[in-house]
Amino acid sequence: MKKENSNPADEKLGALLRASRTSPALPPRFQENVWRRIEDAEAPVKSGEVITWLDALVALLLRPRFAYATVAALMLGGILLGAHSGAQTARHDAEARYVASVAPNSLR
Amino acid sequence: MKRSLILLIGALALGAAIFAGSYFVAQRTTEMCCASPTDDLSWLRTEFHLGDAEMARIRELHEGYLPQCMEMCAKIAAKKGELKSALGSGTNLTAEVQTKLAELAGLRAQCQAQMLQHFATVSQAMPPEQGRRYLAEMQKLTLGTHEQMEESMSGDTGHEHHP
Repeated sequence: MKKENSNPADEKLGALLRASRTSPALPPRFQENVWRRIEDAEAPVKSGEVITWLDALVALLLRPRFAYATVAALMLGGILLGAHSGAQTARHDAEARYVASVAPNSLR
Repeated sequence: MKRSLILLIGALALGAAIFAGSYFVAQRTTEMCCASPTDDLSWLRTEFHLGDAEMARIRELHEGYLPQCMEMCAKIAAKKGELKSALGSGTNLTAEVQTKLAELAGLRAQCQAQMLQHFATVSQAMPPEQGRRYLAEMQKLTLGTHEQMEESMSGDTGHEHHP
C-alpha cells in the first residue's frame, strides 16, 4: 500500500530537492533527431523484396525437416548418377578390352 | 541480408559437396565392382546376355582365333619393317616401296577378313538376335574408323580433292 505523505514540511523539502536537481543540457537538435529516428524505424526498408526473399529461402533451408530431406535427395541423386556413370565406364572398359583382344590396332 | 547470403552460399556449397562426394564414391565403387580385368570376354557375357554353354563355345573360338591373329600381326609388323627399310632416306617412291606397300595392304586385308570371319563365327554361337547385334557392333567398332576417315575425305562432308 502506498502511503500518502501529507506532511507540508516534506512537501517543501521535496520541492527544494527537485529545484536543486540540475538536468543535463540536451544535445543540439535533440528533438529533431528523435523524430528522424522514429520515422526511419517506421519507414519500409529499402530493397525489402530481396531481403524478404533471401531470408525466407534461408529460413526454409535451415528448417531441419527440409534440410534432412535435401541432404537425402542430394545423396540419393549422387549415388544413382554415380552408379550409372560407373557402370557405363566399366562397360566401355570391358568392351575396349575385348575389341583390343580380337582386333589389332593396325586394323582399326 | 549479409548473414542470409553467407548461409545460402554455405548451404549451396555443402549441398554440392554432398552430391559430388556421393557421386564419386558410387562411381568408383561401381567401377570396381563391375570390372573384371582378368577376363577379356566378360563384356560379351553381360552385353549379349550369354549363358555358360554359349560362353564356353565362344571362349573356345576366341582361344582358337588368337594365335592366328598374333601370327598375322607379326607378319604385318615384319612387312612394316621391310617397308621402312625400302623407304630408307630417299625421297623417291621406288618400285620396291610400291611392292612393299601393296604387300602390306594385302596382309592387312587378309587379317581383316580373318577377323570378320571370326566375328561371324562367334555371332553364330549366340542366339540369333544377339548374334546380329554383336556382328553389327563389331563391324562398327573395327571398320567404323576407316569409314569415318573415308567419309571425311569424300565430297559428302564438304571436303573435296582438287586436281
